[in-house]
Amino acid sequence: MRRRLKRFGAIVRKEIVQLVRDRTTLGIVLIIPFLELFLFAYAVDLTVDHIPTAVADLSLDSQSQAFIHALEISGYFDMEMYLEDEAAVVRAIDEGRARAGVVIPPDFAAQVERGRGQALILLDGSDSFTVQSGYGAAVAIAQDRALKLMVEKVSRMGASLGALPISTSTRVLYNSTLDDMVFIVPALAGILLQVLAVNLTAIAVARERELGTIEQLLITPIRPIELMIGKMVPNILVTAFDMLSVVLLGVFWFGVPFRGNPWLFAWLSLLFLVSGLGMGLLISTMAQTQRQAQQGSVLLMLLSMLLTGFLYPRAPMPPAVKVIGNLIPLTYFVRIVRGIFTKGVGLSFIWSDVVALAVYGGVVMAVASATFRKRLD
Amino acid sequence: MLRRIWAVIQKEFIQTLRDRRTLLIQIALPLIQLFLYGYAIRMNVDHIPTVVVDQSLDAASQAYVDAMVVSGYFDLVGYVPSQAEAVRAIDEGLALAGIVIPPGFGARVVRGGAQALLLIDGSDLFTSQSAYNAAASIAQAHATEVLTAEVARSGQALRLGSGQAGGQSLLPLDARVRILYNPNLNELWFLIPGTLAMLLQVQSITLTAMAVVREREVGTIEQILVTPIRPGELMLGKTVPNVCIALVNLLTILGLGIFWFDVPFQGNFWLFLWLAFMYVFSGLGLGLLISTVSQNQKQAQQLIGMFTLVGVVLGGFVFPRYAMPPAIRVVGWLFPLTHFIPIARGIITKGVGIAFLWQQVAALFVYIVVIMVFAARAFKEGLD
Repeated sequence: MRRRLKRFGAIVRKEIVQLVRDRTTLGIVLIIPFLELFLFAYAVDLTVDHIPTAVADLSLDSQSQAFIHALEISGYFDMEMYLEDEAAVVRAIDEGRARAGVVIPPDFAAQVERGRGQALILLDGSDSFTVQSGYGAAVAIAQDRALKLMVEKVSRMGASLGALPISTSTRVLYNSTLDDMVFIVPALAGILLQVLAVNLTAIAVARERELGTIEQLLITPIRPIELMIGKMVPNILVTAFDMLSVVLLGVFWFGVPFRGNPWLFAWLSLLFLVSGLGMGLLISTMAQTQRQAQQGSVLLMLLSMLLTGFLYPRAPMPPAVKVIGNLIPLTYFVRIVRGIFTKGVGLSFIWSDVVALAVYGGVVMAVASATFRKRLD
Repeated sequence: MLRRIWAVIQKEFIQTLRDRRTLLIQIALPLIQLFLYGYAIRMNVDHIPTVVVDQSLDAASQAYVDAMVVSGYFDLVGYVPSQAEAVRAIDEGLALAGIVIPPGFGARVVRGGAQALLLIDGSDLFTSQSAYNAAASIAQAHATEVLTAEVARSGQALRLGSGQAGGQSLLPLDARVRILYNPNLNELWFLIPGTLAMLLQVQSITLTAMAVVREREVGTIEQILVTPIRPGELMLGKTVPNVCIALVNLLTILGLGIFWFDVPFQGNFWLFLWLAFMYVFSGLGLGLLISTVSQNQKQAQQLIGMFTLVGVVLGGFVFPRYAMPPAIRVVGWLFPLTHFIPIARGIITKGVGIAFLWQQVAALFVYIVVIMVFAARAFKEGLD
């Protein structure tokens, strides 16, 4: 046991020396998550409003102007240009100068009076975000305006209609103001750290193999699992530092509330980082060259971004695709981080993900050492 | 000069072809990814698991819950007795939404001013957006229905909608929404052009990112330096074999998108091919630049991770760029993806020609020139 510890200590020391010696790389590793967090947090705007809109108002009467005004004050549509007809509006969307268009036919006021006013809303169907927010907003605004007109009319005819018979109030739990930062920052911490962790170890073994130093390691009495854990330890320190700073930045700079237990979160983050680093090691032992290792880690990065529930919801994905997501540590951590950070729930609500992550970390390390041993021949 | 470039091209080709496994990975990966993402990514969430707290249990409350369920957006997973229980179900992740109907709902509907409460899990972005929008419009539609029924009962409906046949809709104003280019809101039509652009960028950056730094680390760069080759020629020579791989990627991805996922190609195919070729070139140039400025492969690896991740987010693949703050938009110009996404969507989905896209094309062209000059410069400086 003591000899084992000694061997292990030697590897850790070697890795730390190598890590600290390469100041530039260390600097890059420490700075990258900040940079990304800043860029992403400011770039991601989930509820798309102020859609650039072109208008063709063929009526130019009070009703048409009231309707356009209603669209504009909703904040969803910015009326940026007034054009002469529908073809011109379509052209503006073709050119990409506008993303939405409003076309109001001639005689709008009279039509509304007679009860069949029809306005046409055009949306740029090459951009799904615009369509999603534009569609919902346009329909809601039109309906709202129609109801108002109807109530007005009925009351002019002498009857009285009170308030709307039913109204729904919506409460968005954990994020009552639908703040983008609350959605994005916790899971963002997860993906940034996973990418960093995987990249750190992904070329660790492949590099020794490519440079030939692996032979020197092999003639020492070190065992594969000891080598793997030894390569991991210094990187745990680096990534834990990154994780801490990203979370602090999120809470204090971006003002995202942290609702759960910080210690529980710290322990689980550590578990997550270990499984991320383990994943990197597995890629590294499987790859023959650093180039392959790099391809592998880039692939893992894209998969993590798109399949783990970080960005796109996992619920509508087909089962086979979900299974692939289950092979990535981030899938479990996204639920954990949202649970603790955003919802403020405790271990009893997320235990299944915690267990999965722990099992995952163990399995990945075992497989990495086994692959390493097999590769020696 | 041509002979020197040719020599580098030959060397690179031999190195590429020798490593069969890497080559296979490079050709297969983007294809597999498009396949996965084509099936995986759905932004419009429906069938949201929902719990109901119905404290009225009368006809009006049932009608309201029914309206929510038949919309297809909400799936009933169970009834719970109280609002606290509903919140708990959302805490545990059993449901993502909850509908709470207070006691005496039916009576309030008749008097006007009934209130229902919708709870939404705010930790998941697309779900809360979809649920929010769906609930708002369903509630509004339901309210309108109840209101018109009421008006009809009071006998004034006939005069109100005098011009209407049958009088099925009494609303005086109606907005028709037409989605250009994608009238049926087929999500794949949204997704495939952007995914194609994204995969090509990631692939092209990755292909060359190790090119120079690897020679430096293994020590073969010294051998290249003693030859009469110039930096610019070396850069060009290193790009060519990778252009071939990237073009294979382009064609296979495009084929999969068009023939397997049935995404219609509206524009001019040859125009698209030429512009995609330029685009691939700019990505390879960016990879080369990363490769020349990195001191070892570990650094290159981290930089690529960052560039691909940031490029995907700022380039407009996921989130529309016009919604970003101006400073962030400028950062986005650093990525070829930013210039190519409007081209891909323009030609594939909208079917427009070069007259509408010349700005992006010009930007892409300038990008290539600048990036290659920078890469050659950085290489020269790195020599000392």
